[in-house]
Amino acid sequence: MLSMKNISKSFATDNVVTHALRDINLDLAEGDFVSVTGPSGSGKTTFLNIAGLLESSTSGEYWLDGEDISKLDDKGRSRMRNQKIGFIFQSFNLIPDLNLFDNVDVPLRYRGFNAAERKKRIEYHLDQVGLASRMKHLPSQLSGGQQQRVAIARALATSPRFLLADEPTGNLDSSMAQSVMSLLEDINANGTTILMVTHDNGLAARAKRQIFIKDGQAQELRQGQHNIHNLAAV
Amino acid sequence: MLELGPMLRALMRNKIGALLIALQIALTLTIMVNAIFMMQERNRQMARASGVDEQNTFYLSNTVFGENYPLQSALARDLDQIRKTPGVVAATQINAIPLSGGGWSMGLQTKPGDDVDGTGTAIYFVDTQGIAALGVELLAGENFSESDISWRERSSNKWPPKIIITQTLAEKLFEGDWKKALGQTVYINNHDPMQVTGIVKSLQSPWNGWDNTEHASLVPSQLENKGSRLFIRTEPGRRDALMPQIEKMLADSDKQRIIRNVKTMTETREESYREHQATNNILLTVIIVLTLVTGFGIVGLAMFSINRRTRQIGTRRALGASQWQIMRFFMLENLLISSLGVVLGIGGAIGLNIWLVSTFAMTPLTPGLLLVGCAALLLVGQLAVSYPALIAARISPATATRGRA
Ligand SMILES: Nc1ncnc2c1ncn2[C@@H]1O[C@H](COP(=O)(O)OP(=O)(O)OP(=O)(O)O)[C@@H](O)[C@H]1O
Ligand SMILES: [Mg+2]
Repeated sequence: MLSMKNISKSFATDNVVTHALRDINLDLAEGDFVSVTGPSGSGKTTFLNIAGLLESSTSGEYWLDGEDISKLDDKGRSRMRNQKIGFIFQSFNLIPDLNLFDNVDVPLRYRGFNAAERKKRIEYHLDQVGLASRMKHLPSQLSGGQQQRVAIARALATSPRFLLADEPTGNLDSSMAQSVMSLLEDINANGTTILMVTHDNGLAARAKRQIFIKDGQAQELRQGQHNIHNLAAV
Repeated sequence: MLELGPMLRALMRNKIGALLIALQIALTLTIMVNAIFMMQERNRQMARASGVDEQNTFYLSNTVFGENYPLQSALARDLDQIRKTPGVVAATQINAIPLSGGGWSMGLQTKPGDDVDGTGTAIYFVDTQGIAALGVELLAGENFSESDISWRERSSNKWPPKIIITQTLAEKLFEGDWKKALGQTVYINNHDPMQVTGIVKSLQSPWNGWDNTEHASLVPSQLENKGSRLFIRTEPGRRDALMPQIEKMLADSDKQRIIRNVKTMTETREESYREHQATNNILLTVIIVLTLVTGFGIVGLAMFSINRRTRQIGTRRALGASQWQIMRFFMLENLLISSLGVVLGIGGAIGLNIWLVSTFAMTPLTPGLLLVGCAALLLVGQLAVSYPALIAARISPATATRGRA
């Protein structure tokens, strides 16, 4: 469902060009659960942003769900993010002025669902993460783990095919991290493709596929092995 | 999909900034609408016709310093000379000039008696060419004839038997029916009878701020004064050429007087309303400055709140908002704040107007003007917020994962 060919990304600032990604090649199948690890500054977030249409690559080809991303304008990319992709962020990114109900409502309104449909989805997904009773609470009234659960409910409310998570457990203690990870595994078991950046090797190992990024280059770790082969060579 | 509900709830959690801007808009509306209203009142005053053919008239003053000067024959000679000049339509001696600020007023009453209430009127002493020289329109009755014109000495308190009055004065004196006035006797100085022999359509008094400025009367008298004024009407387009020509002719013909203050009615009107015009300019400046301040206030608040919400905007973009939807979010938010301001402002504007009307006896504000003011301020709000909103729309969706770019 996702296919990247020779994706590169460089940032030019003050006469310095940073090559954040070099020639990434990757194919993801429906239902994959891929973890991405690598040292700080290696390009993980950049990779995830490109995969999630939050930024565009400098060169290369990117097909998502049969669509050539380079052919889309801002409106098309926004629609694609809204309909096919769900995001989970390290710092949750709940909107502080909105209660939980309204937070989960945000992508549903952009989607254009009617009020009854939105209400049904919000209540269902908040219930799924165990927070249905706190719909009128503000994010600041919740713990970090609870906030991340709301963010997951928000990401899933639009029924995306593809879930992107940038260090979803980075701001959580280990027990909360474990519960968020189990939640992601359940979501994946229900058919959603997941791409997750993490610093935690234990969590990374629980994914079906593992990608290691270093200096902007990606390598896939074979399952059960520590051998590395360069994806670019495939 | 409009986001009114959540937007309102979010605004309620960050009231202060929005409330301050709403109050500023309310204040602006309050002052703006009433200032425009005051300008309109002034414009209406300025637009009133004086009744005089202003484009083609001018006047001058004639000051005699010679001893034993033959005032009567000299006046006859001067008028004769002027009237013979090609291009002159008519000329008269006159005691006061409409709109000039200085003149003579008397009370007229329909019954004689010391304790009868009179109606004030401006008095213009003219001769047979008075009506033609001023260019006023005679609605009914007839002009003065040569035999009606009498000489009036400086300290005289006698009044000739005839008077021509304006339509408005006639209506005031005769229960709203000016036609009834013709041929009636009115009393001046409480007891002296004068017969209304003519009614002119309109002629303003010398005082533009007087409530009864449309009350004026023509009295057939020539003044035997050492200082007098001559009022001259020319054919269209010839006034400016004739002014210096007549001034020179009069000055050259007699060295025992000086001719001064040659002035057009156009200038007189301009001077008369100079203060009105200046006040209007000040009010206009106040409106513009206030609107600009409010506009910049809106820009400032929007910039501040967009800066504060950078990550939120990036997150909204990541969750599927298009650039246009982000822009619309801030435009709509401004519309909500401005609407609150406008609603408060309507109250303020009406309140201030009620006070102005009761304090300065003005006519009340029209709802139309209030609506135009509201629409104008809502538009100012949308214009002011459009630039910050555009900046917000340009915030990258990557801000969601990277924080502030
Ligand atoms: N907007 C930008 N302008 C310039 N350079 C950038 C920009 N964004 C990222 N970079 C650079 O690109 C490189 C990759 O950054 P990226 O955020 O993808 O790393 P990362 O692997 O997510 O790191 P971390 O684990 O610390 O989150 C870094 O060298 C970073 O400095
Ligand atoms: Mg990162």
